[in-house]
Amino acid sequence: MSNTFQKYWKTVSIVASQPLQDRRLGLIAGLVLRLSRVVILLSIWRSLFEGRETVSGMTLEAVMTYTLIAEVFSSQMSIRTALSDTLWEGIIVNRLTRPIGLYGQFVAEMVGDWVPGLLLHALPLLLLSPVLGADAMPASPTSALAFLVSLVLGIAVGSAIDVLFTAIMMFLEQSIHSLTMIRDAVSVLLSGAVLPLALFPWGIGQTLTWLPFASLASAPLRIYTNTGDPVFLMSLQMAWAVVLWPLAHGFWTYNRERLVSHGG
Amino acid sequence: MAASRFGVFQTILMLLRRWRIQAYMDLIRMTRDFKLYLITVVSDTLLNLSGVAAVFLIVERFDGIGDWSPPQVIFMLGYASLVTGILDVLFSYNIMQISRRIGRGQFDHVMIQPQPVWMILLTEGFTPFSGGISLLTGLGLTGWAITQLSIDLTAVWWLWLCLNLFGSCAVVMGIAFFWGTFAFWSPVAAEEISSQATRIVFQLKSFPLDGLAPFLLNTLLTVLPVGFVAWYPSQALLGLRENPLWMTQLVGVVACMVALLAFRQGLKQYERTGSQRYVGWAHRS
Repeated sequence: MSNTFQKYWKTVSIVASQPLQDRRLGLIAGLVLRLSRVVILLSIWRSLFEGRETVSGMTLEAVMTYTLIAEVFSSQMSIRTALSDTLWEGIIVNRLTRPIGLYGQFVAEMVGDWVPGLLLHALPLLLLSPVLGADAMPASPTSALAFLVSLVLGIAVGSAIDVLFTAIMMFLEQSIHSLTMIRDAVSVLLSGAVLPLALFPWGIGQTLTWLPFASLASAPLRIYTNTGDPVFLMSLQMAWAVVLWPLAHGFWTYNRERLVSHGG
Repeated sequence: MAASRFGVFQTILMLLRRWRIQAYMDLIRMTRDFKLYLITVVSDTLLNLSGVAAVFLIVERFDGIGDWSPPQVIFMLGYASLVTGILDVLFSYNIMQISRRIGRGQFDHVMIQPQPVWMILLTEGFTPFSGGISLLTGLGLTGWAITQLSIDLTAVWWLWLCLNLFGSCAVVMGIAFFWGTFAFWSPVAAEEISSQATRIVFQLKSFPLDGLAPFLLNTLLTVLPVGFVAWYPSQALLGLRENPLWMTQLVGVVACMVALLAFRQGLKQYERTGSQRYVGWAHRS
């Protein structure tokens, strides 16, 4: 058990400590994008809440915190492993030969890959929160703790969706780009990462809460801002993880033969 | 004089011929596999709609944003989609993401062809069938918004709309090529810089920038002129502000000039060093 954990931990640390020279420009561009987006969204919220106390049970302060934290943890709320990329590049065979679980190694790589982003994007955003006029603090210490648990559950659901989408791609034998675009387009909007589901018009946010995409961002963010019932939200996340993982694994295993016949 | 006129005519003819060839190849690519066609249509439509959906949903929920009424915001979203659509139609195959071609050493393919580099860059990415899907989304949104707004739809207004769209596209291409130039010096690190730059532009283009602090607003109208991709020209076309209608074109021309100067420097560098990353199957090492 400890040996297995050590393998995954080593993968995380190797990826996390990779030199940044190839990714410096990307990281800078990412910071500019995220900072610009959060500043614009916060200014829009301010103007929209002018003269309003609450909208759909959310105060301006809660929405500002929601937006800021969504941006801080954006990578953790829009899960994407390198699984589909390795298929695209034809190097999946190397991963299959490694003495470590397939899903585990991709998740470990993804976690390691978050480290530079957390240090160079998330931390500056948190430190800049007073300047941005948004309160980065959770509603309570309990909310903070529940948020962390919910975030982990969201990552579990997101990883299952990632494997499932990649398996679908293998089944359809199509380019990853189109399917990645579909997944990103759908999940960013339906997860509540940009716009809180409670603020969706026509009450559709209530329906979307039940979908797996809401487990990725909306659930942890609602817990953080204390605008949702933590027990209900985390139960839903757990249910989706329990449903989606066997489904993703089954579909992946079924399509693995196709992968072998195509030679990766 | 007559020779010069003949030269211009010939150039236009050559451009049209190349666009026709590219259009034909795009049509073949899209029709040879129905599954590919369907997935492309669905993914492009979803991507376009999701790009504007967040702002659209906010508008519906709050009945407008600031001074913008719902149809005015939808006009801006449609305008933004049109810009994306035009660029998708004209500059696919990593022309807009030029740093990929440069960084991967694929610019050699452009340089060895017996035609000017500018002509290749202007024609090689023409994909009216696969890229046109984004354009349809923009046309739909803009068309619907126009029917809801009391705009005096004169020929002059349509001309200004076309000129502003041209200006906005020029702004995006200027940004993409200016940043893409860095790939001449740093092929690996800057391989994705054009896509990063256009990603920033496309993600921010749909937001009304009215409530921003003056410093930030000025930054988004000068250093990173995202405001000219949809917000500023939409304001001008809808008469929301006294914005000059020619400003977007001017900024577009300036952005392209700056990009051209930088790109020429990059080409000089490329002539000296070439690419270390070129491999036989034309992909990256």
